[in-house]
Amino acid sequence: MTDGPLIVQSDKTLLLEVDHPLAQECRLAIAPFAELERAPEHVHTYRLTPLGLWNARAAGHDAELVVDTLLRYSRYAVSHALLVDVADTMGRYGRLKLMNHPAHGLVLESSDRAVLEEVLRSKKIQPLLGARLDPDTVAVHPSERGHLKQVLLKIGWPAEDLAGYVDGEAHPISLVEDGWTLRPYQREAADGFWAGGSGVVVLPCGAGKTIVGAAAMARAQATTLILVTNTVSARQWKSELLKRTTLTEEEIGEYSGARKEIRPVTIATYQVMTTRRKGVYAHLELFDERDWGLIIYDEVHLLPAPIFRFTADIQSRRRLGLTATLVREDGHEGEVFSLIGPKRYDAPWKDIEAQGYIAPADCVEVRVTLSDHERMTYATAEPEERYRLCSTARSKTAVIERLVQLHEGAQTLVIGQYLDQLDDLGERLGVPVIKGETTVRERERLFEAFRTGEVHTLVVSKVANFSIDLPEASVAIQVSGSFGSRQEEAQRLGRILRPKANGGTARFYAVIARDTVDQDFAAHRQRFLAEQGYAYRIIDADDVMSDDEV
Amino acid sequence: MTTRSLADALRAASDEALAELLGLRPELVSPVPADLTQLAARATTAPSVARALDRLDRWTLQVLEAACAGTEAGSSDAATYTAIRALLPEATDEQVRQAVDRLLTLALLWGDDEMLHIVVGAREIMGTHPAGLGPCLQVLLGALAPSRVTAILSDLDHAGAAADHQPGSPGAAIDAVVAHLGDPVQLTALLGTAPPEAITLLDRLAWGPPIGAVERADREVRTATATSPVDWLLARGLLVAADTATVVLPREVALHLRGGRAFAQAQPSAPVPAGTRRDQVDRTAGGQAFSFIRATEDLLEAWALDGPAVLKAGGLGVRELRRAALLLDVEEWEAALVIETAYAAGLLGQSGELEDSWLPTPAYDAWRADPPEERWARLAEAWLRTTRLPGLVGSRDDRDKVAAALGPDLDRTLAPEVRAAVLAVLAAAPARTALVEADIEAVLIWTRPRRPSRLRHQVVEWTLREAERLGLTGQGALSRPGRALLGPVSTGTTAADAAADALAPLLPEPLNHVLLQADLTAVAPGPLVSDLAHALALMADVESTGGATVYRFTEDSVRRALDAGRSASELHALLAKHSSTPVPQPLTYLIDDIARRHGRIRVGAASSYLRCDDEGVLAELLADKRSAELRLRRLAPTVLAAQAPGDIVLERLRSMGFAPAGESADGAVLIRRPDSRRTAARQRPPRLVPEISAPSANLCAAAVRALRAGDRATNAPRGAVVRGMAGLGVLPRTAAAQTLALLQSALDHERAIWIGYVDQHGSVTERVVDPIRLEGGYLTGYDHRYEEVRTFAVHRITGVAALEGVVGADEENQDLPDRTPKPSTRVRGPA
Repeated sequence: MTDGPLIVQSDKTLLLEVDHPLAQECRLAIAPFAELERAPEHVHTYRLTPLGLWNARAAGHDAELVVDTLLRYSRYAVSHALLVDVADTMGRYGRLKLMNHPAHGLVLESSDRAVLEEVLRSKKIQPLLGARLDPDTVAVHPSERGHLKQVLLKIGWPAEDLAGYVDGEAHPISLVEDGWTLRPYQREAADGFWAGGSGVVVLPCGAGKTIVGAAAMARAQATTLILVTNTVSARQWKSELLKRTTLTEEEIGEYSGARKEIRPVTIATYQVMTTRRKGVYAHLELFDERDWGLIIYDEVHLLPAPIFRFTADIQSRRRLGLTATLVREDGHEGEVFSLIGPKRYDAPWKDIEAQGYIAPADCVEVRVTLSDHERMTYATAEPEERYRLCSTARSKTAVIERLVQLHEGAQTLVIGQYLDQLDDLGERLGVPVIKGETTVRERERLFEAFRTGEVHTLVVSKVANFSIDLPEASVAIQVSGSFGSRQEEAQRLGRILRPKANGGTARFYAVIARDTVDQDFAAHRQRFLAEQGYAYRIIDADDVMSDDEV
Repeated sequence: MTTRSLADALRAASDEALAELLGLRPELVSPVPADLTQLAARATTAPSVARALDRLDRWTLQVLEAACAGTEAGSSDAATYTAIRALLPEATDEQVRQAVDRLLTLALLWGDDEMLHIVVGAREIMGTHPAGLGPCLQVLLGALAPSRVTAILSDLDHAGAAADHQPGSPGAAIDAVVAHLGDPVQLTALLGTAPPEAITLLDRLAWGPPIGAVERADREVRTATATSPVDWLLARGLLVAADTATVVLPREVALHLRGGRAFAQAQPSAPVPAGTRRDQVDRTAGGQAFSFIRATEDLLEAWALDGPAVLKAGGLGVRELRRAALLLDVEEWEAALVIETAYAAGLLGQSGELEDSWLPTPAYDAWRADPPEERWARLAEAWLRTTRLPGLVGSRDDRDKVAAALGPDLDRTLAPEVRAAVLAVLAAAPARTALVEADIEAVLIWTRPRRPSRLRHQVVEWTLREAERLGLTGQGALSRPGRALLGPVSTGTTAADAAADALAPLLPEPLNHVLLQADLTAVAPGPLVSDLAHALALMADVESTGGATVYRFTEDSVRRALDAGRSASELHALLAKHSSTPVPQPLTYLIDDIARRHGRIRVGAASSYLRCDDEGVLAELLADKRSAELRLRRLAPTVLAAQAPGDIVLERLRSMGFAPAGESADGAVLIRRPDSRRTAARQRPPRLVPEISAPSANLCAAAVRALRAGDRATNAPRGAVVRGMAGLGVLPRTAAAQTLALLQSALDHERAIWIGYVDQHGSVTERVVDPIRLEGGYLTGYDHRYEEVRTFAVHRITGVAALEGVVGADEENQDLPDRTPKPSTRVRGPA
């Protein structure tokens, strides 16, 4: 019996005991083919999925290596069936290849005629293919490349895409590393992406995903289309690119509701891309407007459906997806993988934290007991009203005030979902409120004031969930949210994870109403972070009110 | 020669040799024959010989077949050792000698080297063409007309044979032909002149079967007139007509063509399979053994709470099997294996209740307390010995019926034998060597070529996959525990113990701690001691299993533990004790939260309630002894719950001098009046049918006749009141002696009797009989049911009862005044 750090479970999960001396070595060995699923404090869970195994094949790892790694690090005997399954699964990859044929253009070629026959008989695949050129080759319409790959993946015969990418219109871009350097994981992420051609990079909020994008652009040396969530975020991308690269103001265009500039590097918002005029997505043409060499999807987990569909048609362009949490509450993670590309880089939050690139965070759940009156109102409310009632309960206000007071002097964000509640809080705390209707100009002014320390506290709605760069924010108080969204929780925590000048710990409070759905949703929301190793502390509101410290 | 028969040979044999024979052919001693003549007779019958042959390997069978083929022309039942040896040139002397000795031991051959007799049964089984060889020339020519033999001889002369025979003597002519064709030099020369088509024809018959169909095979053919290849061969005696439509290749010619060999492929030794060396055999097997124990336990734990129903036809429903597979996260055949093995090991049985279901047996509890290696040994041994084939589950039989797990269709007597044989082949291979299925099967076919092989191929496949799943093999090679289970046992221990000892070091050490994490999971990085495993399984859901177990704590799982009577502090203490790290705070909170809410709402059952705004009245009621029967309980100052139903409570309260009012489900006061009842809604009076015209006299008469006849058939005399029959519909039941006495007395008094009778289908009927005769254990009498005289075996009569009022059974005399049967005394008999 060897004493390895890895335990292989029959459901194809791998448990890695992190305190084991070989843990780090083992992590590196299994990372190429196993997906990190959870990373709490003692035992990390990885999973062997067909997709992960195929990605490993695509990256040049063979089944023998996978089996060997499992056997080497496994503490207990690995079931034979599982090893056979791994070999079988990996053996399915690459029987079909998408190639560029000199005469016929894009073709699907097979090294196993039986597989090709099986695939050709599939009703879903037939319409995507053209004429049979010879027994092993079938023509493919170039526009169906993404769709075909998706369907092939679904029926378990993933095609190896060797058709390559178009280079796009060349445009010189390089990083300007003055006073800063690319962090090791950012470099690994950019390299991983470039080696794979297309894909998704998963990094915690505040870990510098923009820089990874910039590094990717420097590798591509081509015109780039960047899709971001909103205008504020677009401006931040722009200023970051100006700061970090050789790009100049004239080379970067903004394509938003306000401006429609198309330049070598164009930053567009999801919102404008999905605006319909007379039932037509007028702005999707932007994808074809230039011969883009690289398309970057920021916060790719939010990718709206029309862009999803359109992305399928541009499979010959390099695509980079950036996200902190690839959990979609709609369960469409798989589509992101198959359309943008597989996960190319992933790092546990706690690892980045240990390296000092994101601030350590202390997550606290503050439980507020509702007043009897509130409980009665809650108990008799319609089910759909219940969450709003309990999450905006008046009893929370005093606790929130107290928390703000406890952290006086620290840059504090109060984040919530319901505007009435936010307005009320803003009034009581005497601080500005940023919400959807706040103009971009006003938002930028307030954020700037916050950054400079002119304003210490801001009350923000969900508009501040993403991509708002507020480096000095060190305390976040979440008063309500959109139900049980795990990624919202992670994004909100991300607002305060930028490393602090004083190296201090960030504080994240979730104020919730005890014994209500608020508490149930909170448990669900916290799951992703708990799995990333953020252990929530639970304290009682009464303790907050009575003690001087939390 | 002193031995003239097998009986003589057996008589001459030593006691040890006889004992060995009986040991090897056990069917000879059941029952024990009277003497050696009887034993010899039994040993030579075809069925007995067939069973003996079934146990022989290919080589021994080949030697026996060669013996049949090597018989001399003169004696069709014996061959010399030399002749047998000559037919098997590929084998060594020792191999032939051993096989012959074995056949002698088995009494399939008897005699000595000069004359090895083949028992008649064996010759019958080997057939007319042993080793694909026809009869010898001597026999074939003897059956021909002498003129044909002479013709052949003269034609052979033409072809260059020496003419030293005496024409006219048929025997001499035959001898001459035999001598001519028996001479290899002459035969080679003769075949050298044969046309190529004739050679092709000979080659086709050479390896048997040695006969061919030819029209007018017995026609007169001469070399001069021979046109076809068959004619050419017939004319020279290279083929001989056996009858009008068949030609036979003589043995001498066939052997010459074969180069003297009896078999194209003699197989003196078993094939030796080439294996592959594996380096993780025991480790893999240990892992599988562990997971098998675990699967068994998981399944039985689940079934203990919710045992699946036993199908009417026996066994387990397909859907239940699928559920089990889902529960264990394995394929269906594996689930079937787990279920069947637990059943074979006596851990699973039927509840035996009205709604029969599959439940763990009491033996399961004892098993569960055993250390894991012993648990495994018990399962593995049960699997090894069971006659049931789990692999059959889900297959369809000839009538397209699906074989159910635990069902009646899985038993195959040969299953343990084949299973053991497969593993024996693996055991014979060097240690840690994996063999492929086809190689194993080849060895099995050599070892037992005559075994019916319809299922064998599948059983080999199933045995291999099941042995792997159980951990008897690992990576396709026999593991150390597997070898111990099969292997020879040293004294003072059992195979199961040895296997358990071999397995123990391969199993992971049970742990006494888990890792608790803030995401509300607990990871047991190895098997847990069983107490802890059960405690955790109660308070957390298992998320994944394997070498480790991942548990997740949820509201439901914690509530489950509380429902099962654990307190929050017990749970905290358990976690604190078994966690190697501090208990994460969210987990503590989760348990406290659930515990706080647990049981806040209480649910109970009451039949009615009493409410009263005046608390005093309720207090008075409670204190009154007369209300004790209502079993009142105070739920709130103004509410009492009663176990008695509402109307009784009302009644009692009124009798106690209160004036209660009933309350409806929605709280309204019920107004009570004396019962005045109504029918169900909308009942209309039946519509009157206008009078129908009177039937004709003929019609009436016919109807009466029909009625009378029907009445007699159903009721008389059974319809009579049965004296002393208290239990209605109960068959008479009397002791055997009493039965005889009653029958005799009924016969004496010419009284009809009522008997219970078991017919040849085993079902019990009751008959009314007028006894006629009672002799030789049979009662003859007039059976009223069938209206004819029948004979009844007395030992099948369950009992006798006298009938009242009926004397004799003459139908015409049945004009007794009141024959109307009382319905209650009618005994319903089977149609």
